Amino acid sequence: DGVAALPAPQNLSVHSINMKHLLIWSPVVLPEEKVYYSVEYQGEYESLYTSDIWIPSKWCSRTEGPECDVTDDITATVPYSLRVRAILGSQTSAWSILEQPFNRNSTILTPPGMEISKDGFHLVIELEDLGPQFQFLVAYWRREPDTKEHAKVVRRGGIPVHLETMEPGALYCVKAQALVKAIGRNSAFSQTKCVEVQGEALPL
Amino acid sequence: LRRCLAFVDMRHLEESFQGIKRAIQAKDTFPNITILSTAETLRSIKPVDVCCVTKSLLEFYMDRVFKDHQELKPQALRTISSVANSFLYMQKALQQCQVQRRCPCSEEATNATRMVYDNYDQLEVPSAATKSLGELDVFLAWIAKNHQKTSPA
Repeated sequence: DGVAALPAPQNLSVHSINMKHLLIWSPVVLPEEKVYYSVEYQGEYESLYTSDIWIPSKWCSRTEGPECDVTDDITATVPYSLRVRAILGSQTSAWSILEQPFNRNSTILTPPGMEISKDGFHLVIELEDLGPQFQFLVAYWRREPDTKEHAKVVRRGGIPVHLETMEPGALYCVKAQALVKAIGRNSAFSQTKCVEVQGEALPL
Repeated sequence: LRRCLAFVDMRHLEESFQGIKRAIQAKDTFPNITILSTAETLRSIKPVDVCCVTKSLLEFYMDRVFKDHQELKPQALRTISSVANSFLYMQKALQQCQVQRRCPCSEEATNATRMVYDNYDQLEVPSAATKSLGELDVFLAWIAKNHQKTSPA
């Protein structure tokens, strides 16, 4: 009957930013004891069709906690139930279940980090590598009256991408937003960054 | 219709299934029999029937195969769960699409999916579920081909 003696973890919640989902909870504190935790999940399919089945989390079937990266467990855009229990030697606590099922479409999407650079007359952008789920919409324009804004979809971060061949003496500006097809959402645009190529403008 | 399932990452599904395919197919005790009939049957499905056949086979896998298959290995369990929950998402997406667009079922399409159920029912449940799971890549490839633009990069 030791199971009841070990308190269950409390205050479960999921922090999700840019499609990285972190389950956190309040630790079970026992003086001079090392408590471990076990995390399991159930997608909406399991809760509808095989409700007795819970699946061990990929990274936290036995973890020191009190957190667990469940990104690799949450692989569909449906609600997921998550539960955690404490483990002390051969004792296990009752399961604590996340109050509200988590859906990855609620993740917080931040404007992507970006570096703008000049390679000779070439305007080059490198976007933050946010993982395989992310694409980016890049808007760029030449700062002058009645300018036309151009747009380009960049399929991956972490690699330099050529945007435009610049003319000397002109100022070129860029901004970008992150796109996540799997949840059909995008982030806000980043701040605009501008660069200029030295030299005189070419005669018309 | 291609936009209905545009948000589904089929490549991720196909890749994760490849990870367990050999182990699943190794448990197939009737290698010479097929549940999804031959791939030719799926290939012969007309564009107008794609929605109906997709809906029916999603239902087949969710109502029968994933429920009937008893899996103990955590990695396989996770992969099957990933596919099952993605199928559930697809089912919802197709239902929303149906509100805007019809999803007709011709006699041919109905016969094609009835044949799948008949094939399934001729085997014992565990064998049928394991075999159908082993043929999942055929269905995933068919969905990818019929429901998604081929992205250039």
